[in-house]
Amino acid sequence: MIKRRDFIKWAGAAGIGLNATGWSMLAQADSVASPVAIPVPTNTGIKGRVVVIGGGMGGATVAKFLRIWGGTGVDVTLIERDSTYASNIMSNLVLNGSRTMSSLQYGYGNLASRYGVKIVKGDVVSIDKATRNVTLASGASYACDRLVIAPGIDFDFPPGLETAAAQAKVPHAWKAGPQTTALRNMITAMPAGGVFVMSIPGKPYRCPPGPYERACIVADWLKVNRPGSKVIVLDANPGITAEVHAFTEGFALHGIDYRPNTTVLGVDTTTMTLQTNAGNIQGNVLNVIPTHRAGKVITANGLANTADGRWTTVNVLSYESTTAPGIHVIGDASATTQPKAGHIANQEAKVCADAILRLFSGRALDPSPHTNSACYSPITATTASWLTANFRYDAATQTMVPVAASSGEAAARSTKNFEEMGKWFTALMGDSFA
Amino acid sequence: MNQSKLFRGLVLALATAPAFAQTTTTAPPPGRLLASNCFQCHGTNGTGGVDKIAGKSASEIYKELKEMQQKSPPDMMDMHARGFTDAEINLLAAYFAAQR
Repeated sequence: MIKRRDFIKWAGAAGIGLNATGWSMLAQADSVASPVAIPVPTNTGIKGRVVVIGGGMGGATVAKFLRIWGGTGVDVTLIERDSTYASNIMSNLVLNGSRTMSSLQYGYGNLASRYGVKIVKGDVVSIDKATRNVTLASGASYACDRLVIAPGIDFDFPPGLETAAAQAKVPHAWKAGPQTTALRNMITAMPAGGVFVMSIPGKPYRCPPGPYERACIVADWLKVNRPGSKVIVLDANPGITAEVHAFTEGFALHGIDYRPNTTVLGVDTTTMTLQTNAGNIQGNVLNVIPTHRAGKVITANGLANTADGRWTTVNVLSYESTTAPGIHVIGDASATTQPKAGHIANQEAKVCADAILRLFSGRALDPSPHTNSACYSPITATTASWLTANFRYDAATQTMVPVAASSGEAAARSTKNFEEMGKWFTALMGDSFA
Repeated sequence: MNQSKLFRGLVLALATAPAFAQTTTTAPPPGRLLASNCFQCHGTNGTGGVDKIAGKSASEIYKELKEMQQKSPPDMMDMHARGFTDAEINLLAAYFAAQR
């Protein structure tokens, strides 16, 4: 008899010390945990060619699941311009020095060696919507039966922030990478009594709790290391958009100056001033997260068909574009009722993979898919909150609707949540990249 | 009646059904897409992550999820469990019971 165990009995509950050393151990554990390689079946009878553009959370996951569910008859090519994926999840912890960007890199070796995904490093210059042919900057061209695009986001920079030089002075650090490290360096260079100003764009934007989490992490670090400093949050939204309870408490704990309904209209990088609808605000460090749109490959190829021209509308039973047959758009770039975030992009990718394989087999789509969004948000260097939502397809509205009883946030921040966060992150990245 | 063995047998029978002709494709196992909602935390096919659930008996998985639906205040997994119907919980239980 197997003894009854709690579903969430975290292996790390014994307590992993999450100081800088603990984090570097966890970073290693990302690979030490060695997610099990799933065999690619040879006998499904399913045949087809799929090209995937973008190797983030959605793109990597759809490539893996097309192979482990579809088998060797499904030819999968993943086109990605970078050698590794830099995880946005956990990247706010680079800002307080508990993580490094090098600990957040995920390569494509497992997708190639375990699952037989063909990895192509390159930049897409055009998509022929009628034939689904994809052409790269190198001139190489890729044909497929079905195309999956998972490009993530792009930004609309406000006046004064259009150039690379301006963006280097006022980073967004909202695509994890060199800007994340740059923002960390700016924070450590702040004087005691300094002012850190960050801005949040109007919805929809990537990772709804992320900006509030960032404000908490930065304020928590400044409180200890640069006494007397101030964190000001300018939010284009009318109020906190996610984990209202956790962040209301967090902002009070850290003394964060939160200003809703405040939109950045321009940036003066010489005087380090933000022009807003509520007047000018100066800071030692400015962190402007600009308004989002779908990644450039979507807008440049006529696939952004929402009324605001920013996103692609899709059938959430398959993530196939409603205007471009045979082209599927998953993750942040599609317009759905679901949040734009890595965990749910992973699940959208599985719905998309299942749908493509059913279409290759002449089968009906799954009529009632679920997706789920789950994440942990650090509130201090040692405590975290969580947020979760379980979505179900609603045939009447043809949208994914969160099940009310299954959506909510943690009752309180805790060190237990912080420890669970590390396990969740390792498992999620394993399911996507290993 | 041993529910878990029954479920496992059904799922295995479906998963190993031979392709009779080149044009015949294997049907997706029942519950697979639904169960993939668990993979982000429990590893692909439930093989690890926060808690290995692959190979647990279907009756045990069913019982645990039903208990979680009642637990108050809910932890993250307790809240997730509240999003599934009884029929869906049976599908999840059968799927993971058939994994290794």
